[in-house]
Amino acid sequence: MDTLVAQYSKPMFEKENYSQDDQMELYQAAPSLSLRFAMPPVAQPSAWLRAATDDNANPNCPIKIAHGTTTLAFRFQGGIIVATDSRATAGNWIASQTVKKVIEINNCLLGTMAGGAADCQYWLAYLGMQCRLHELRHKRRISVAAASKILANLVYSYKGMGLSMGTMCAGVTPSEGPALYYIDSDGTRLAGNLFCVGSGQTFAYGVLDAEYKYDMTEEEALALGSRSILAATHRDAYSGGFINLYHVKEDGWVKHGFSDTAPIFWKTKLEKGEFSNVTSELV
Amino acid sequence: MNHLPQAWGRPRDDVYGPYDSSYLQSNQSHGPTQHTQSPVVTGTSVIALKFKDGVVIAADNLASYGSLARFTDVKRLRKFAGTSIVGFGGDVSDMQYLDRLLNSLDIEEAYSTAGHTLNAKNLHTFLSKVLYKRRTDFNPLWNQVLVAGLDDDSKPFLASADLLGTTFSAPSLATGFGAHLAQPLLRKVAGDEEAAAKLTKEQAIEAVKESMKVLFYRDARSLDKYSIAVITKDGIELKEDEKLENQSWAFADQIRGYGTQIN
Amino acid sequence: MAAMFSQNPLMNGPNYSFNQAPSTSSGGNKEHAFYPYTDNGGSTLAISGSDFTIIAGDTRSTSGYSINTRFQPKVFKIGGTTSAQDDATLVLSVVGFAADGEALKERLDTIVKMYRYQHGKPMSVKACAQRLSTILYGKRFFPYYVTAILGGLDEEGKGAIYSYDPVGSYEREQCRAAGAAASLIMPFLDNQVNFKNQYMPGSGVGHELQEREKIPLKINEVEDLVKDAFDSAVERHIEVGDGLQMFVITKSGIEVIYKALKKD
Repeated sequence: MDTLVAQYSKPMFEKENYSQDDQMELYQAAPSLSLRFAMPPVAQPSAWLRAATDDNANPNCPIKIAHGTTTLAFRFQGGIIVATDSRATAGNWIASQTVKKVIEINNCLLGTMAGGAADCQYWLAYLGMQCRLHELRHKRRISVAAASKILANLVYSYKGMGLSMGTMCAGVTPSEGPALYYIDSDGTRLAGNLFCVGSGQTFAYGVLDAEYKYDMTEEEALALGSRSILAATHRDAYSGGFINLYHVKEDGWVKHGFSDTAPIFWKTKLEKGEFSNVTSELV
Repeated sequence: MNHLPQAWGRPRDDVYGPYDSSYLQSNQSHGPTQHTQSPVVTGTSVIALKFKDGVVIAADNLASYGSLARFTDVKRLRKFAGTSIVGFGGDVSDMQYLDRLLNSLDIEEAYSTAGHTLNAKNLHTFLSKVLYKRRTDFNPLWNQVLVAGLDDDSKPFLASADLLGTTFSAPSLATGFGAHLAQPLLRKVAGDEEAAAKLTKEQAIEAVKESMKVLFYRDARSLDKYSIAVITKDGIELKEDEKLENQSWAFADQIRGYGTQIN
Repeated sequence: MAAMFSQNPLMNGPNYSFNQAPSTSSGGNKEHAFYPYTDNGGSTLAISGSDFTIIAGDTRSTSGYSINTRFQPKVFKIGGTTSAQDDATLVLSVVGFAADGEALKERLDTIVKMYRYQHGKPMSVKACAQRLSTILYGKRFFPYYVTAILGGLDEEGKGAIYSYDPVGSYEREQCRAAGAAASLIMPFLDNQVNFKNQYMPGSGVGHELQEREKIPLKINEVEDLVKDAFDSAVERHIEVGDGLQMFVITKSGIEVIYKALKKD
């Protein structure tokens, strides 16, 4: 009976505007910490999102999300080297050649960006916030293991929703020494000495694996990081632009330049005789 | 995540299943589109034109059921608050729903302490927000509407809003088939705001009536009975039972290429 | 169809020969859902200088091959104290789906106004840039179909431009073109603003070539550059044209310049 009454006493129209609470949520000056994301109101949000954004399966998909590509990091006796290229692509279009793919989480922790650029930027910034909260709560710095696990657990909780990120967390803490972790959006979290991530990973691995020794000097290590990225930018069309080079030491990270690949390539070729498959005649 | 450069960072089939492009069946692709919710009884074009001190708006009185000319006395121009006219194209049931909604808004505003009435610009803002919210909820109101009236400075106001929440304003506007057939004719007399500001009421009415005639000649979902309204500072002049005059079908026997042909 | 043309032509170029086409679902019950996006075409462009920023956009709005209107601004002042935005210091341009763009603009504007009210000072362009990124990312799973550019002057008074992808990845840049004709305008800007692939005349050939010295552009040079860029885009892209709005941000305020573009 009640349902019958309800059916016929329904108002002639719905309330067509957002509730007061929704509006406050929408317009507050500080971003919400609740991680409430707007979802498309369909049965399969991830399939819907994929249909709209997967430029690999459908080059004509309407929304092209910027993607990042070759990144590497490795441990050696003097700390950790982190190196990346700087190209972002949306489909075959080079959206940017100057992307900062090394994300400075805080002054002793670095993250790298491969996969969806926005995913990496947002969640690594979120991780930075969590790390700072950890410091305030426990009065000491968070370990790299713990930080990477925050991120891994976080992305795992979004598994299957369409996040795409392959990231490395590098840092040096008194308890762990130099520590390096790989985390991706499938939820994988691995500790290791050496990782390359992205579409150019195979090319970078080729150079890195051949030359890598744990006992390298700092100069050798920096040169190897740079050379591996150079190899990847040379052979992977989705990598290129600038080489972004960082060294993580006990007292924090040091930036070693954001250098154009073109002059480095010619220097490597002409002075060291590498890349002999390329002609040096420029007419 | 694998090493294939193109696939890298994109959803993998083994996690997400195969790519399903049916989600993209859209207004963008030509040809028939199918929707889970689709309009049933529909109205065709609405056309409108600004002039020196107001706006002329017109729509025919037909509500079609597919290709059937089902209801021939449906008024698609709705008055609001004695200040504005809303012309509805698209689904008729959604039009009636919006009409109810607008009536309640009018009553609410009339009883409010502020004591002012909403003008066409306010009304258009309201409508576009409702339409945009509905599209965001994937529960669209299947209409394209033209709002005609005056703005805050009592200048002629004419704007459009559609089921996706897209809005725009121009000296002349037309929805549906009218965007292709009538809009060129209206732009000829009022290509920009300056030209529209020089038009007299009579010229504007003449141009709109002429466009309605062209629409009746060529739009198979149209009718020769129509409504026309003129909105000025002095109020709304709404005529809901007009008939197209001076039709000439002389052009018809020049048409070649359809149906049985002798020569 | 519109999507195809609005995208960059290069997209349909060559692909990897070993490209493994992902499987596409076929057969079965297909749900033909309501499609909530459309593309309204148009293009935007931003260039920053030593003490100014210029953000420009054409004013055409399209659906498919039809022109909705010849005047619909894509560039907006953000965060002034009134709705007239006379004392605004920030400018946002949005291109893509106009209704999403409008919603994004109104949301950002309200937030920046709230910030001014709560903190008693206008929001810096850097803070606003970060906030805009989180707004866009808040719709990561149901994106705003827009490419946004935010501009203003930074704490040192230098021109600042931040460009975004639809889900909020952002970067500060010297110049950026977005929208339908981005692929036509961006290479021109690389060459004319950042002097990419320009060399000193007479410096030699091949490896001898010296790069042209990078000098900051003057405000009137940039205005001319913007007009040239749009005039060229109008010649080769059907969704760009009608009018050009240029927002020139300097320490004395924001000047809006309107210039006509071809209307064919």
